[in-house]
Amino acid sequence: MNNNYYKVSELNLTKWVNDYTEDMLSWALFKVSDSELAKDLVQDTFLVAAEKISTFKGKSSPKTWLFSILNFKIIDHYRAKKKMPFAFDGDEVISMFFNENGEWKKNKAPHEWQIDDTHLLDDKEFNEVLKLCMDLLPEKWNSCVKLKYILGKSGKQICEQMDISKNNYWQMIHRAKLSLRECIESKWYKN
Amino acid sequence: MKKLMQILFLSCLKATEFIEKKLNHKLSFKEKIQLKVHKSMCQACSNYEKQSKLIDKVMSETKIENVNKEDIISLKKSIVQKIAEK
Repeated sequence: MNNNYYKVSELNLTKWVNDYTEDMLSWALFKVSDSELAKDLVQDTFLVAAEKISTFKGKSSPKTWLFSILNFKIIDHYRAKKKMPFAFDGDEVISMFFNENGEWKKNKAPHEWQIDDTHLLDDKEFNEVLKLCMDLLPEKWNSCVKLKYILGKSGKQICEQMDISKNNYWQMIHRAKLSLRECIESKWYKN
Repeated sequence: MKKLMQILFLSCLKATEFIEKKLNHKLSFKEKIQLKVHKSMCQACSNYEKQSKLIDKVMSETKIENVNKEDIISLKKSIVQKIAEK
C-alpha cells in the first residue's frame, strides 16, 4: 500500500462519518452508557479528526485512527469525573472501607436493605441508580464489570481483552463491587 | 492458639474477597468453613453477600442500550454539517 492510498480530504472524512459512525457510537455507548454523551463524544472525535486530518498519514487504517481519538475522548471524560464522590482508584478503595485490621469502618459497614428482592429486577429506579453507579466507577473497572456481567464474557476472555493478570482481574471485580454496593446504598436505599 | 484464631477468623476484607470468589468460582472446603464462621458472627458481611448477589443478578439482566437507526442517520448528518461549518 503506498502512502498516497488515503488521500485525505473532506471528502474522505464525510465517507468516514458514513462508514464508522455506527461502530464508534456503539463503542462509546458501551463505555459511557449515556446515549447523548456517547453521541457528543463521537461528534467531537470527528471534529478533532477534521482539524488534525493533515497529520493522518495513512499508516494505520482510518478506523484505527478515529478510534484512537475516540478513546482519548472517553478517557478525558472519565478523568473529568474523577473528582466526583464514589469514583475511586486502586488501594484507596480498600482503605476507604476497611481499617488496618481489615474490619469494616464504622460508617461503611453494609446495612440491611429492607426491600423485596423479587420486584427489584423490574424496579426502574433501582436500575437507574445501578447504571449511574456503574458509570461512576473508574474507566477500567467499568469496562471489566460490563464485559463480565452485561456481555457475559469469561474471566479468561476479559483478562486477554484488557491485557490484565488474573489477580488484577479479581481485584478489580472485588473493588468494583465494594464501590457499587456502597454507591447504591447511599444513592438509592437511603433515599 | 493464635494460629488457630488466624485460621478460623477471617477479616471482613478477606471475607468480602471470598464472597466475590464464591459468586464466580468455587471456594475450597477450608475457605467455605472460614466464610461460614465469619458470617455467623458478622452481620455486615452477611448483608454484603446478599446485596452483592443481588447486584450481580440485576447487572446480568441489564442490556446495553441499542443504537437506533434514525439516531445514527441524524448523528451522521449533524457531524457532516459541523465539519462543513468549520
